[in-house]
Amino acid sequence: MRVLVVEDEVSLAKQLTAALRRAGYAVDHAADGEGADLLGHDENYDAVVLDLGLPKVDGFSLLRRWREAGRTMPVLVLTARGSWHEKVRGIDGGADDYMTKPFRMEELLARLRALIRRSTGKINPELRCGSLVLDPRSGRVLLEGTEVNLTSHEFRVLSYLMHHSQRIVSQSELTEHIYSQGFDRDSNTVEVFIARLRRKIGPTFIETVRNLGYRMKDPA
Amino acid sequence: MKWLDSFRSRIVLGTFLWTLGLIPILHLLFLLIHHQMRFISVAGIRILLVFSFLCIAAGIWQFRAAILPFGRLRRQLSALRDGSNVRIEGNYPSEVQPLVNDLNSLLGHREQLVRRALAKAGDLAHGLKTPLAVLAQEAERAEAEGEHETASTINLQVDRMRRQVDYHLTQARATTPSNVSGARCAVLLSVEGLTRTLEKIHAARGLTIEVDVSAEHFIRGQREDLEEMLGNLLDNACKWAKFKVKIQSAEVNDAVLVTVDDDGPGLPPTMRDQMLQRGVRADESAPGSGLGLAIVRDLAELYGGSVTLDASPVGGLRATLRLPS
Repeated sequence: MRVLVVEDEVSLAKQLTAALRRAGYAVDHAADGEGADLLGHDENYDAVVLDLGLPKVDGFSLLRRWREAGRTMPVLVLTARGSWHEKVRGIDGGADDYMTKPFRMEELLARLRALIRRSTGKINPELRCGSLVLDPRSGRVLLEGTEVNLTSHEFRVLSYLMHHSQRIVSQSELTEHIYSQGFDRDSNTVEVFIARLRRKIGPTFIETVRNLGYRMKDPA
Repeated sequence: MKWLDSFRSRIVLGTFLWTLGLIPILHLLFLLIHHQMRFISVAGIRILLVFSFLCIAAGIWQFRAAILPFGRLRRQLSALRDGSNVRIEGNYPSEVQPLVNDLNSLLGHREQLVRRALAKAGDLAHGLKTPLAVLAQEAERAEAEGEHETASTINLQVDRMRRQVDYHLTQARATTPSNVSGARCAVLLSVEGLTRTLEKIHAARGLTIEVDVSAEHFIRGQREDLEEMLGNLLDNACKWAKFKVKIQSAEVNDAVLVTVDDDGPGLPPTMRDQMLQRGVRADESAPGSGLGLAIVRDLAELYGGSVTLDASPVGGLRATLRLPS
C-alpha cells in the first residue's frame, strides 16, 4: 500500500512519514501544492493525507483538481482549521475524511486503514484468505495461527494482493503500489518478492495468472 | 437652564421671539394699510383669516419635518447596536448629513479593524495547531520509549492549549455580531451539508441520520455559526448513537427549535448541566470542555437563543437548540 503525505511543516511531515512507514506503507512526501499536484496525477496512491494550508497551491484546489481529473484515491484531510463550516467544505470538495490538528497518530492510522479498506470494498478490519490472516492494524501476518515474519516489501505485496483479493493484480500495478518515489525499482523485482512470499506462506495462496498477473486464492 | 439643551425648545423659543419681534412691525404696517384702505369687506377678512391659518399650519409642518429625522437617526443607531444594521441609512437634512457620513466612514473603518484583528486571531490560533500537532507526536514517541511522565505532561499541556485555542477562537468570532447584518440562513441547507459530512466521517459506524427539517425554517445569523452549533450537536449524537440519529425542526413563537436525538446511552440529569458548563474565565483550567457543548451554548446565547439537554424518546440524549427566526 502506497500513501502520499502532503504537509509543508517539516517536523510534522517527518513524524507522519516515519509513523506511516512503521505501519508498513510505502510513503511519498510533498511539501507544497505544486509537487503534490504532479504526484497525485502521475502516481497511483492507495490513500493521501492532505494538509489544506499549503504553499503555492492550497489543499482545496488540489483536491478539486484531482477529483475533476477523475482521481478517486481516498483523501484524508489533516488541517488546523477545524470549524464545521470548513469540514463541510472539505468533504463536499471531495475529501473522504477530515481530521484536525493536533491529532493522535493512532487515530490517524486507524482512519487511514478504514479508508483504504472501504475503497477496496472490504468490510472486516482483518483480511482473510483461508488460514492466512493479515491484520493491517498490527501489521502482522498469521498462517494457521502462527506469525509469519515478512520484510516491509513482502508485507506490502501481500497486503495489496489481499486488499484486492477479488481480482487479478498485474505486475506493474503491484510495482506502483509497493515502492515510494525515487526507489530503485529494478533491483527488487516483484517476481522476487512473490517467490519469497511463497516460500514463507506456502506455494498455493498466490496464484500466477499467465500474462496477466497475480491473484489471491484460498487453497481449501 | 436644562431645557435649553433641547433642540426642540430652542427652536420653539426662537420662533416665539421671532414672532414677538414681528408684532410691532406688523402693527405699524396694519396702521399704514388701515389708513390707506378704509373700507374692507367681510369676504376680504375671511380670505385673510384662511391665509394666516394656512401659514401657521405650514409652519408647524415644516418644524415637524425638521425634527423628525432625529427620531429616525435614533432608531438607526439602536438597529446598529443590536446588529440588524451595519450602516446608518437614508437621507438627512444638510446640517446632519455630513455627521451621518462621518459616522458611517468611522463605522466602516472600525469594522475593517475588527475584521483584521479577527483574521489575525484566527491565523494565530491555526498557526499554533501545527506546532501542537508536532508536540503531540513527540509525546507519543516519548511514551513509546518508556518516558511516561514526560509524555503525559506534554499530552496534558497540548490538550489544554488546544482547548484554549478552540474556545477563544469561537468566542472571538462569536462576540462580533457586527457581521451578522440581518443575514438569514436556511436550517435545512446547513443540516444537509453536515449530514453528508458526518456520514462520511462516521462511515465505519454505519449510522443512519434521519432528517426531518422544513425548508421553510430560517434563523437570523451567520451560516458558519449555525453550522458550528448544529455540527457539534450532531457530532456528539453520532459519537454516542448505536444505530440512529434524528434531527427535526419546528417553529414556535418567532423561534426555530432544532432537536437532535440519539439512541445511545444518554446522560443522567445531574451530568446534563455539567456538560453545558463553560469556563467563565480565560485562566480556568479547561474552558470549553465538555464535548463542544459549551461552545454551542455560548453561540446560542449570543444569538439570543438557548440549548437544553433532556432524555430522548428514542432512548439516548435529546439536545434542543432554540434560535430566533
